Amino acid sequence: MHPILADRRRLALYLGAWVPIAALLAGLLTVGMRSPWPESTALALPLAALAAFLSLAAWYPVRALPPERTGFGRLIGAVGVGALLSSALWIGLGLGWASLLGRVPGLETAPQVFAAALPLLFAVGLLLFLLAVAVHYLLAAIARAHEAERRALAAQVHAREAELRALKAQLDPHFLFNSLNSVAALAGSDPRAARRMCLLLAGFLRKSLSLGAQELVPLSEELYLAETYLAIEQVRFGDRLRVETHVDEDAQSLAVPPLLLQPLLENAIRHGIAHRLEGGTIELAVRRRGGELDVLVRNPCDGDRPAAASTGVGLRNVRGRLEALYGHRAAVATHEEGGEYQVQIVLPAEPAA
Amino acid sequence: MSDPLRALIVDDEELARGLLRELLAERGDVEVVGEAANGFEAVKACAELRPDVVFLDIQMPKLSGFEVLELLEPRPAVVFVTAYDEHALRAFEVNAVDYLLKPFPSERLAAAIARAAERVRRREELPAGPLAAAARSGQPIERVLLREESGVVILPVEQIDWVEARDDSVCFHAAGRKHRKTQTLGEVEAQLDRQRFVRIHRSVLLNVARLQRLEPYAKDSWVAILGSGARLPVSRAGRKRLEELLGAL
Repeated sequence: MHPILADRRRLALYLGAWVPIAALLAGLLTVGMRSPWPESTALALPLAALAAFLSLAAWYPVRALPPERTGFGRLIGAVGVGALLSSALWIGLGLGWASLLGRVPGLETAPQVFAAALPLLFAVGLLLFLLAVAVHYLLAAIARAHEAERRALAAQVHAREAELRALKAQLDPHFLFNSLNSVAALAGSDPRAARRMCLLLAGFLRKSLSLGAQELVPLSEELYLAETYLAIEQVRFGDRLRVETHVDEDAQSLAVPPLLLQPLLENAIRHGIAHRLEGGTIELAVRRRGGELDVLVRNPCDGDRPAAASTGVGLRNVRGRLEALYGHRAAVATHEEGGEYQVQIVLPAEPAA
Repeated sequence: MSDPLRALIVDDEELARGLLRELLAERGDVEVVGEAANGFEAVKACAELRPDVVFLDIQMPKLSGFEVLELLEPRPAVVFVTAYDEHALRAFEVNAVDYLLKPFPSERLAAAIARAAERVRRREELPAGPLAAAARSGQPIERVLLREESGVVILPVEQIDWVEARDDSVCFHAAGRKHRKTQTLGEVEAQLDRQRFVRIHRSVLLNVARLQRLEPYAKDSWVAILGSGARLPVSRAGRKRLEELLGAL
């Protein structure tokens, strides 16, 4: 859409700018051509209106020939030809109008005035067109700048949204509500334990927010978060939830994406331990094998449970993040057999910054 | 003052049970008659203790709160207590008295108790119908829950051969065994996957995977022969429904 016609305020401003041009044109004819005022005005006003209309056409070469992608010669040529055509058309239509005016009593000299002013008017027509091209280029540049700004802003918003979505996807709100319910329960029966639970929750939330803002964190930090998470869930599940952890000492300082373990442990609890009357033991093993870091989470699960209940959003999320970070250098494999479910993640062993 | 309400607490978390026990003990109008840590215990405790009101968690091992509710007979007033707000609509459909979101303030609990007391006072027995309505609103069920002498039986739907309507109940035929349940055939049909179970006769719902062939019997009636050799009546409408699902027979 034409940038001037598309916007009413701009159109009004544009037409307003033509009023002084019309006055200038009338003055030029009166002073330069010694034409009487009535003839000058009767010629200049329609000519200015016509020029205002024709100048809008400058948008089309401007749009077709963006300056950054058009050769200088071609640009000059195209604009020059446009100016000549536009000016010739203007003069031609002006000529017709002048001869019409010539039949009006009192304005009989209009054709002569026009004929005398023809070279001057042709030059004015060229100039007006060139001016119009310049104005349109300016408008286009402003529009591009606005668009670039808008896009940069949108990209920022997207990035922030993605961050929040990731965090929200990682953190199951029910975990929070259930934990708070445990706090409420302990507040009556065991205030010391309630306080400890509050501290665990605060520690977990603070840590997940600070780690979640980074791309990679040392495994030791991620393990701390995982252990806090498990400690909170152990308050809820009591002795139904047991944990066995093994971590290679030389793996502690390796880099891992933050909140990598927590979704795996959450799955192990929600889809494994929570469905078993007697609970069970979650095994967490992190080993360094040459150039690779090997993470294994294993839990017993209930065979009676319908299969649909065991698909985790958390796991899909982990997969997506690993793929974005490492491409084919990372792998996630799940395996279920004999009432046991396990997730294995292999990623490149790289030292944390 | 009237007798205290007799309450059963069902939650797999010890702490959550403890909180309810504590809050209820502070009131004079509710007596906690028992607790259950899972669905099986809950069904058993309900049958033995006959509570007026059950505080029922939804996410529990083996049987969910909704599944427990389906097995309770007679049905006490039920207050769901859960951290999940997404089941509220379904709870309403199965005529739960109230739906408490963990953690809840004691005023909220008081309101739930008042509503439960009102229902008990009016001796409102809940119709069985709403359960089928709840099933319709969601996915087809994956398993059928049955109360038998031995306790709760979980019957995965793929094990069902056919379901037969009796006078006031239905009979599930599965692997040569029969399981009775107080429910109408229409309700069962509404709960099961329509792509797998077809009403071939007014009184028969067939697992189409078991159908071997169809034989004419009389004018406008046929006999379905199953892999097991069982023979079931097929009406004209039933044959039409079978053809809609399986194509020309």
